Amino acid sequence: MIVITRRVCWILSLTIASVFALSDRSIFAQGRGGGTPPRSPKQAAPADFTGYWVSVVVEDWRYRMIDPNKGDFGALPLTAEARRVAAAWDPAKYPPPSEDCRNYGAVNLMRQPGRIHITWQDDQTLKLESDAGSQTRTLVFGSARGPGGDWQGVSQASWDSIAGGRGGGQPTGSLKIVTTNLKPGFLRKNGAPTSANAILTEYFDRIDEKDGNSYLVVTTTVEDAVNLTAPYLTSVHFRKQADAAGWAPTACR
Amino acid sequence: MLRVGHRPPAVKSMKTFMRSPAVRLSPVSLTITALIAITGAFAQDGPFAGLAPQGASSGTDVSGTWRVGGNQDAAYGTAAGSLVDYGGIPFNEAGRLFALAWSASRQTLRTEQCAGYVVPYAFYSPGNYRFWEERDPYTQRLIAIHMYFQTSELNRTIWMDGRPHPPAWAAHTFSGFSTGEWKGNILTITTTHLKHGYIRGNGASQSDEATVTESLIRHGDRVTYFAQTIDPVWLDGPFTKTVINVRNVVDPTAWLYACEDGEEIIARADSRVPYYPFGQNPSLREYADKNHVPMLGTLGGSDTTRPEFTAKLKDTAAAEAAAMVETTPVKGNPQQSNRGANAEPDDGEIHILKVQGNVYMLVGDGGNITVQVGDQGPFVVDTGAGRLSNKVIAAIRSLSPRPIQFIVNTSFHSAHTGGNDNLAAAGEDPSLPGSFFAGQAPVAATGFFTDPAHRATLIAQNNVLVRMQAAKMPEGLIPPDTYLKERRRKWHNGEGIDMFYEPNASTDGDTIVHFRGADVIAAGDIFDTMHYPFIDLKNGGSVQGELDALTNILEKTVYQHDEDGGTMIVPGHGRLSDEYDLGEYRAMLFIIADRIRTAINSGATVAQVKAARLTADYDTRFGATTGSWTTDMFVEAVYADLKRRSPATVGK
Repeated sequence: MIVITRRVCWILSLTIASVFALSDRSIFAQGRGGGTPPRSPKQAAPADFTGYWVSVVVEDWRYRMIDPNKGDFGALPLTAEARRVAAAWDPAKYPPPSEDCRNYGAVNLMRQPGRIHITWQDDQTLKLESDAGSQTRTLVFGSARGPGGDWQGVSQASWDSIAGGRGGGQPTGSLKIVTTNLKPGFLRKNGAPTSANAILTEYFDRIDEKDGNSYLVVTTTVEDAVNLTAPYLTSVHFRKQADAAGWAPTACR
Repeated sequence: MLRVGHRPPAVKSMKTFMRSPAVRLSPVSLTITALIAITGAFAQDGPFAGLAPQGASSGTDVSGTWRVGGNQDAAYGTAAGSLVDYGGIPFNEAGRLFALAWSASRQTLRTEQCAGYVVPYAFYSPGNYRFWEERDPYTQRLIAIHMYFQTSELNRTIWMDGRPHPPAWAAHTFSGFSTGEWKGNILTITTTHLKHGYIRGNGASQSDEATVTESLIRHGDRVTYFAQTIDPVWLDGPFTKTVINVRNVVDPTAWLYACEDGEEIIARADSRVPYYPFGQNPSLREYADKNHVPMLGTLGGSDTTRPEFTAKLKDTAAAEAAAMVETTPVKGNPQQSNRGANAEPDDGEIHILKVQGNVYMLVGDGGNITVQVGDQGPFVVDTGAGRLSNKVIAAIRSLSPRPIQFIVNTSFHSAHTGGNDNLAAAGEDPSLPGSFFAGQAPVAATGFFTDPAHRATLIAQNNVLVRMQAAKMPEGLIPPDTYLKERRRKWHNGEGIDMFYEPNASTDGDTIVHFRGADVIAAGDIFDTMHYPFIDLKNGGSVQGELDALTNILEKTVYQHDEDGGTMIVPGHGRLSDEYDLGEYRAMLFIIADRIRTAINSGATVAQVKAARLTADYDTRFGATTGSWTTDMFVEAVYADLKRRSPATVGK
């Protein structure tokens, strides 16, 4: 039995602490054995986003639940040219069949009243299907795949983290998705345009309430130097369903 | 010797742990200590779980100043929103009818001019917010997160130290009572004890029984806010809403929101409240027509939040017909009862709630009991039903070692006088020995002054004595010391106490008691936060007297800040309140009575009035289908009282 002074105790503690701090903190998460392979995105998921979710239409109710009125661009930071283009939009002449899904592109898909179904396509890829417009988004962790140029573009997913702190970034629990290479579509169904240069950044967050309800909150930023004078920020939310009840795929309209 | 695997109590601070003799004794313990020191910041589970004191760790820092920054719901962020725009609000019938009856002119009422905002509305109303942390200076434990909202100067404290929420009988405020916790990176806040306030500034409201859970999710310099409001009174499901907040780079100016109520409508009687009769809201179609929105969508309801709602709108004629049904109480719908929390515990215990100053509220034995203590004997207002008198006496003794000196009855109702004999017997009035009264032959002279020096003095308006005598109540229950006219007053325990007679309110013998120093008013049965007003017609009560009494109380009150606090009001039944609560109660009574007045003047029978469900917007808050004071009894009393005049009138 020996007695160690408080000062010595702290010095030794800090020494050991420094050793651990300089090492990979993943040892706390993955246990012993430096040879353990890194976890796949599916294994590393900080929250479960899979399942059926139904949109709860509250935000921008008037623009989402019914067709927005012609010329109603309230709260959209459109450039003058975009506003001119949008104002010229004529629902009687538009869209041609090939453009039916212009309102269901990635920038606007999550705002549609409807249900989404999220599944793991593989360990690196989340698949997001919508019954509204029968669209499919492919959210790829790591290097995004595909040429894009369609309504859903190319989406790169990652588990969001806060930079800095001891041992690197701290996971936030959010799913971050950056989508590019989009086909020009609608920001609002009444003709407000987005260009092929639009960049869509989304955060998916899961909220579990004490009353048993779970919600998916989607925070969206659209940047489009061609059509927008400032980033367009919106958020919507979905309630978790136990099953596929109400799932009713529809065509674009 | 510290054994491997020993886990210190979670509440023990790391500093205390490191200084403990056990830690100093062994190299093994030293190593463990070091490991604990470096993993404490990381470990959320596993062998070190629970080591950190509660509230010590936190998610992302939300400190700073913020503002609504998203591009959505612009109409709500810049003004009150359009009238009759309730799309996406899961109203039940009562909630929708309340909103449709709401007139923007209500904001001219003194009690509503400076009313604050409640969450979640505070997060999407205009203005900036400031958040900051409060930490224990010695342990750096997170005690609370404070939030200040520019508009309405709403000050919130989010307690992060695990403290419980107050009981159901505690007061409500616009900020409510909030506790928080981190769920991963998300700050989750649970708020109860909110006041009745806006969901949107167009009259769409949540009741004072709402519970709001909020989640703040930080993404860089933005916080996505998500709230779920559960309101059993006016919503038939959770109201959920998101908002994006953006961090201010520069601290904004103009943080203050100076509001002071004034005289806005000079000619209007104080008790009159602007409202729209059912089916007569002049703005019913304004928003719908302007924006080409089907009216069914503008009226809210759970359906309007669901994707399937779009299908309902396809048949425009059917949608229009369905909308019209929703604008008035649906005949034949079952009568509803109060869905709020029971603020009158029946657990066999007496609960003490400090009101303010030296005044306390005792809950648990029927009607509420108010107790003022000080250098003299306690001054008690009402004595409860008398079932738990021994516990009431014990509770009062825990507040003051002195015997009860004075007891005032606010009415003769048994829920307020049942404990008279027991509490009087447990007290004494030292002002009487050696006085004029001591020399009397009290029993012979009055029949009531039995041993005056060794009992507390019972005081009431004279009609209480008359009613109790007529009912042949036991002698010890009857207050012998009565007054006849407007006011009785005393200086006791260091403050002035006013007793005001409120004629023909709940009965013909009502008294309100104002403790002027503590600024607390005991209202008796004039105010019941759980039921419609008990207008006891056969014992002298009246609608106009009740309205006048509520108005008289409001003439004595002052709010501390934006309709919160200041003069506190102990109701005869229910939770502790202030002037805003009482003002809303008066508005409810006036509106219902005025609807019944209109029906009477158009020739309706009482059966027709009941079938018309003229209380439908308030039944889920104050109604009762069983018990001693049902909604039917209330409607019948109002009808009978107003019917006595021709034409019927309400409000002076």
